[in-house]
Amino acid sequence: MFEAFDYPFVQRALVEVLLLSLAAGTLGTWIVVRGLAFYSHGVAAAAFPGLVLADGLGFSATLGAFGVALLFALTVGQLAARGRGGHDSLTALVLVAALAIGVVLASDVFHSGANVETLLFGSLLAVDDADIRLAIVVAALALLATWTLGQRWLAVGFDPSAARGLGVRSPAADLVLLVLIALAAVATLSAVGALLATALLVVPAATVRMATRRMLPWQLGTIVLAAAEGTAGLWLSFETNAPPGATIAVIAGGIFALVALARSAATMYTRTRGVAQPLGLRPRVAFENSPEARSRGGEGAR
Amino acid sequence: MSGLASAPLVRTDALAVGYGAAPVLSDVSFDLRAGERIGVLGPNGGGKTTLFRALLGELKPLGGALDLAARCGTVPQTERSRLDFPVSALDVALMGAIAGRPWWKHPGRAERRAAREALARVGLAELADRSFGELSGGQRQRVLVARALVQDARIVLLDEPFTGLDAVSIRRLEDLLDELAGEGRGVLIATHDVEQARAWDRVLCLNRRQVAFGPPAETLSLDVLAATYGGSIVTLPAVAGEGERLALLPPHHHDHEH
Repeated sequence: MFEAFDYPFVQRALVEVLLLSLAAGTLGTWIVVRGLAFYSHGVAAAAFPGLVLADGLGFSATLGAFGVALLFALTVGQLAARGRGGHDSLTALVLVAALAIGVVLASDVFHSGANVETLLFGSLLAVDDADIRLAIVVAALALLATWTLGQRWLAVGFDPSAARGLGVRSPAADLVLLVLIALAAVATLSAVGALLATALLVVPAATVRMATRRMLPWQLGTIVLAAAEGTAGLWLSFETNAPPGATIAVIAGGIFALVALARSAATMYTRTRGVAQPLGLRPRVAFENSPEARSRGGEGAR
Repeated sequence: MSGLASAPLVRTDALAVGYGAAPVLSDVSFDLRAGERIGVLGPNGGGKTTLFRALLGELKPLGGALDLAARCGTVPQTERSRLDFPVSALDVALMGAIAGRPWWKHPGRAERRAAREALARVGLAELADRSFGELSGGQRQRVLVARALVQDARIVLLDEPFTGLDAVSIRRLEDLLDELAGEGRGVLIATHDVEQARAWDRVLCLNRRQVAFGPPAETLSLDVLAATYGGSIVTLPAVAGEGERLALLPPHHHDHEH
């Protein structure tokens, strides 16, 4: 049943997916907790014209993609540092422009039509040593930055107004996060492509978020889930001859939907029965006046 | 103490603050001394939060002077997104210790002890590992006070900290603010409750500009309150157990629809 994993190119793809899971699992939690999901989609899409240029002019695809993605990250970082919160509309604008420029470049300048699908949706079964080296570097940087800067990212996200008083209002730390996300998006391009990068970067983290209450279990859980979804997607795509990037995205989306359904069912069950929920899927927010909050020793009970 | 107390922790002179070119708050001239509790009064949109954002360094003054002798600790209003954050009360208190260590280091044993002690001081020792969003409103405010304690903030800003709290929580938080001031910290409290502010050392009345500043007994006249809130003031008859109280009527809206 699992003879797929006997093939060297599938083994290589598996190594790539597992490395990317390490990077996406740690960075994904920061993307979700800092509200950067749309940014991460934007930065991956922005890399597309860079890929087309690299493909057409014959230089390194990674270099082309990262060059454009870095430009995008610095622009958004600048705007964020100036305190113009809510850069969603700008992200949307750049996203559409990047895709359009990429398509025009591909169809009318370089005539690289056949490659466009690969660039947009990835080619996990054709990753090379350079892709794997990039994934190793990104995974190592993601883990290192989470270990060293995580406390700051968390404190700023929790209460931006207090950040300066707490001595954590350094734009550098936030810029490192934006650039790392850009780098991770570029690394995932080879596996799932520009349009499906969020399948690895955001969806597993958003799924595990529903069942965890602290950063560390959330991060560990996300790494495991992303690895499992990537492995399952790889195997299924081999068995069904479907494109691996899309298969991983469908599996990740399906599991997210299942967990969301289970969670809301558990919430409804508690509300109607007033009993503890299974699976640790309790809703995290208790309201002031809810009987639940009072029975837990809220102020009103004393 | 008197030598320290003579130098104000905060001093502003004709301070103007705003989000664009036009100030939304101007002519603010007040000072906060060590050991003092100042109530910041004003209507919604009167500039209380804007003043705090200037003190926190989020907004640059458009005019006038702003001198801070120390960095501010803050107890902000509760935002929905914060309730959903994956942190415990201890994690939040520990955020106060970040500035005190090199950027690559994790909180050590001493910092964890300091954070637990701060939580114990605000009466939350046994809830240290509870999720922040699961705590009651009063408990959350006290966790944020604990964060300011770990930070050892000499200036503490509280933005409408009593909103939505029950009487027990209000009393508890008031006692805590008295303690902070007793230790020589300067405390600025934005509030809607004029009667509550009478117990503090001075009041700062804002309505897009500074209306008045001084000890509450001298400052909180009917004229000042009317100018601050822009409405009419009526005296409510005494009810059981309480004396006369002032109440504000909303400003009249003159509709000219025919």
